[in-house]
Amino acid sequence: MSPFHFRDTRVRARLLPMCLAVALVVGMVVPLRASAVERNFAGSVQLDYHLVPSQPSVNARPIGFDGFTTEAALKVSADISEHISANVKVCYGCHGFEMNMAYIDLRVADEFNVRVGRFSPSFGSFNLRHDPANHRLSDKPLAYDMGRMLRLRTWNMGVLPSPFPDNGIELNGNHWFGEDVEIDYAAYAVSGFKGDANGFDLDFQQSRSGSLYYVDNNARPTIGARVALTAKLGGTSDMTVGASGMYGWFDPNNLLSYAIVGADLVFRFERTNLRFEYLARRQEFDISDLSRFAYAVTPNNGNFFLKHGAYAEVEQPLSKTVDLVGRVDWLHRAGNVLREVGLARSSSVFRYTFGTTFAVERGFRVKGSTELWQWTDRDASGNKLDVGFHLAVVGSF
Amino acid sequence: MKNARTRTASARLLVLAAVAMAGCSGASRAEGLDASKMPEPVSRDYEVFAQRCSKCHSLARPLQSGIEDDGFWALYVARMRRQPGSGISLGDTTIILRFLHYYSEEQKRAKGRAAEPPPSLALPPVTVDAGEPVR
Repeated sequence: MSPFHFRDTRVRARLLPMCLAVALVVGMVVPLRASAVERNFAGSVQLDYHLVPSQPSVNARPIGFDGFTTEAALKVSADISEHISANVKVCYGCHGFEMNMAYIDLRVADEFNVRVGRFSPSFGSFNLRHDPANHRLSDKPLAYDMGRMLRLRTWNMGVLPSPFPDNGIELNGNHWFGEDVEIDYAAYAVSGFKGDANGFDLDFQQSRSGSLYYVDNNARPTIGARVALTAKLGGTSDMTVGASGMYGWFDPNNLLSYAIVGADLVFRFERTNLRFEYLARRQEFDISDLSRFAYAVTPNNGNFFLKHGAYAEVEQPLSKTVDLVGRVDWLHRAGNVLREVGLARSSSVFRYTFGTTFAVERGFRVKGSTELWQWTDRDASGNKLDVGFHLAVVGSF
Repeated sequence: MKNARTRTASARLLVLAAVAMAGCSGASRAEGLDASKMPEPVSRDYEVFAQRCSKCHSLARPLQSGIEDDGFWALYVARMRRQPGSGISLGDTTIILRFLHYYSEEQKRAKGRAAEPPPSLALPPVTVDAGEPVR
């Protein structure tokens, strides 16, 4: 294959989502009631400014992304019939345009739905509201964080950076026991995350980039499941408890596996939300070249590391237009690292976030938050603390 | 020392921002509706709608969706009900659709279009099975 052909493929891979985005916009202006198919168009735009004053010269670029970032999403939902619906969502963010959703649901009954196409498989609680218009802080919980995490390259982001769209099939459903208790469940097979043959960790860029095609790199699906129970605790309060798991191989040779598990607990008392979530990933890596590791590889169980993440979050409306949000995040990594990474064998970070949102107009909010990062490892300047500020505006339509 | 100063400055900025936002709240419009301006049965329906439909997203989503057709709302709410952990039971669906019918008619009225007669608020006027006509 010539390099020109490869470049053409990459260009096409980038052009395709852009064309789809244009098609979505065109779809918006075309009369929606022209057929029996009911379509709903929705979207959101968030502009965030991230300032990290604790870094030398207030420049956080060496350890993360500061300054302006924009996240935008355009989504079309179509109810084709009582049993078939489709969703297409194109997002724009730090990676450029991405197809986050392109799936069809075939619903036999509430208890049995077949989803095929491209989607984020059911995992955890946060991913249900990962859209910036749906969560009150600029940043995601650390366990799900991507570009707004400080020291993101050192840590290779969170446990399961969200969203995580993938190609595959999911069987899901829910069932109500009376009017007060609901159980929902899902089981899926998707392409899975990707990495190199001699990989040390999941390569999230490769996993979501068209440069190596939007196809599986090892022809062996990643499988997973989720089950959750929601119980009404009264007329205006409920509780959801859930558990999730995912297992697969990320290298082209099907030799290196990853397993991610999670548990979540969400309480809602009137408009107050209280959320707890825990995730852990066991990540195998290639040990054929021992010289690349920072620490001695132990004979037994030396070929993997563990990454844990958890958060507790409370959202409290202060008035009809102002919400307060507090969150404590924790991320812990245990295991060997590559020489150039510079992490201890056991490293942790706590992040304390306090934020507020202000509804200027229906569908238009201002978000402000401050973050205190507390690391167990010192950075190049010897610091173990960082401070970050976010100021964002987000609109939904 | 430097870290302590940074933390103190952060805390002050944060408090300032929170106070400023709270102070501005009088000049803004809430994401939801004012239930006190609705007739009594509708305001109770609205409370169920507001509680259930703000769990995963803001109320601006449904209120600004532009949907005015009862059949469309039935499909829309049925899809939301099936979202994992939605907490929207079949009984809730009836109440939510009853409110959305009222809201749609109010929207049409505000736009100067002829509104359909208000539904009977004494009985659930909807069939929750998605795809069936709502009335």
